[in-house]
Amino acid sequence: MPPTDSLPTFTKSIAITVRQPSKLRNLELFLLLVAIGISATAIVLVQLGVNGAVDVGVLLQAGALGMLALGMHVALRVVARDADPFILPIATTLNGIGIAMIYRIDLARGLSGWEGLAVRQMVWAGVAMIIALGVIVAIRNHRVLARYRYVAMFVGIALLLLPMLPGIGLTLNGARLWIQVGGFTFQPGEIAKIALAVFFAGYLVTARDSLSLTGRRILGLQLPRARDLGPILIIWVAAMGVLIFQRDLGTSLLYFGLFVVMIYVSTGRLSWVLIGLGLFLGGAAIASRTLTYVEGRFAAWLDSFNPEVYDAQGGSYQLVQGLFGMAHGGLVGRGLGQGDPTITPLAESDYIIASLGEELGLVGLFAILGLYLLFVARGFRIGFNGTDDFGRLLAVGLAFVIVLQVFVVVGGVTRVIPLTGLTTPFLAAGGSSLVANWIIAALLLRLSDEVRHQPRLVVDE
Amino acid sequence: MSELTLLILRIGFLILLWAFVFAIVYALRSDLFGQKVRRLPAQNGASAASAPPAPAPAPAAAGSATARTEAIAPPAAAAPTPTAQEVADEPVARRLVITSGAKEGMELELGEDQLTIGRSADSGLVIRDDYTSTHHARLMLWSDQWMIQDLDSTNGTFLNGKRVSIPTPVPLNTPVSIGTTTFELRR
Repeated sequence: MPPTDSLPTFTKSIAITVRQPSKLRNLELFLLLVAIGISATAIVLVQLGVNGAVDVGVLLQAGALGMLALGMHVALRVVARDADPFILPIATTLNGIGIAMIYRIDLARGLSGWEGLAVRQMVWAGVAMIIALGVIVAIRNHRVLARYRYVAMFVGIALLLLPMLPGIGLTLNGARLWIQVGGFTFQPGEIAKIALAVFFAGYLVTARDSLSLTGRRILGLQLPRARDLGPILIIWVAAMGVLIFQRDLGTSLLYFGLFVVMIYVSTGRLSWVLIGLGLFLGGAAIASRTLTYVEGRFAAWLDSFNPEVYDAQGGSYQLVQGLFGMAHGGLVGRGLGQGDPTITPLAESDYIIASLGEELGLVGLFAILGLYLLFVARGFRIGFNGTDDFGRLLAVGLAFVIVLQVFVVVGGVTRVIPLTGLTTPFLAAGGSSLVANWIIAALLLRLSDEVRHQPRLVVDE
Repeated sequence: MSELTLLILRIGFLILLWAFVFAIVYALRSDLFGQKVRRLPAQNGASAASAPPAPAPAPAAAGSATARTEAIAPPAAAAPTPTAQEVADEPVARRLVITSGAKEGMELELGEDQLTIGRSADSGLVIRDDYTSTHHARLMLWSDQWMIQDLDSTNGTFLNGKRVSIPTPVPLNTPVSIGTTTFELRR
């Protein structure tokens, strides 16, 4: 700060009390302003594309969210000064693009105000950001979470089972994943994935030695002892339970995949991945023959363009419409507000990737995938640089939750794997998913703050 | 609004989106593509003589100019002071001494946290020479025993002349070589 001549002592005292502004935070502020700009531009383009005129009301509502994101940045300057500067801008951009797309679909359907999903999505985004802020402020040290690993396990399981309770459980689109209290629906499984990541990290830190050091070596592969297979079998049974009773392939894959990846990261043994893949593929193969809805998904995936499958109840109509939509978009897209994404059912949630593909094209879709890649790469980097095993595993697990969701959704929509209903993180309409993903972002911010990048000795040639 | 304006706006939006992606990638460049080999300015004396020519940014120079004081002062403050009980136990290495290389004779106090070694600026022990990888190796304290783990470095980490492939315990007074630098752990 420039010293003034008139008040030298005054400026001196301020120079001591005001801390040096953090370089990381300034970078974050710059990127965050760009992120807010991108979101605002997207909303304006939607309005121009659909109505040909700008509606300031919606922009103001979105602007309030932008202010909230800036508020979060200011809070980070105080409570987490060394946190990673990329996570908040990336999450804000994705959330903003998602809101713009949902708003666009609302306009196409003639919905406005509280009828529309966009307003609800904005309110949820605000709630999610406030909760994320609460997480950053409340959890000053992530090691506290390790202490509550068994609590996290029970919370996770309870949240998973909640939709099965008669009375509050709700079945939507064939999957029993929601609870309804009053007029308000929530998907508790979204929060459960965070609780389970905390539990897995805490458990694997204590159990790592017995899982990684013992066992016999067969054909160059070190296999675990039979009695160490207990945990993976329990998680497998739980995942299969989700598949059978809640009828949701994606969630089941998410929980099991998360455990397999975390066990692999903590032990470094390939045999765990092979055992996990074998168990899951075995389970899925049996499910595809015995459960009709899984069977239908496989048929729609392998034989999408068959007219019989296309016209069947629960057939490939949605999948094929999504593919046609993306083909319609081509390389640079139809432009926001100028395509027809509403032809595809669930264009605002499960199929938001196809909607964005139609209106932003391959170029836009790859930019979005690039943002996910950077977000997840930051998560893995935070894990790599972590100073304690629990923090490292937790960061990798949380980042992997995002990876797996993106892979399952985008893979399903683009017909790489059978279609399963998971939400696209930050983009898709849905409050529970937004809250959960913003909490993940908050935990990654907290974990990254504790990694101090201070070289202790520099050896130069 | 004319068709052309909309076309320009929508192409502009895609460019903005990619500019954002590349801004992040640019900010992350050293993290994604590894650290550039950097040379010290002449003020650092003879040790810089054999280094390959490359521009030296200010932070690196500042970092190494104060390396001697850094090496002794902050770790002593940061690392918890050894308790009486620890001293009574079997010897755990508490110092890292550089026995050959550019900074021969330098010492580093080891705390309880891991120490990462590599060329990147976020490593605990930064070694910038032609042979060191960005994230080269790390020292971890596993139940009162320091272990060295090679992080898939290009040129390897050598414990007493043998290349380290799995996390290996480092006995006291045994040379560990990374690039042209050799260090030992001492009590």
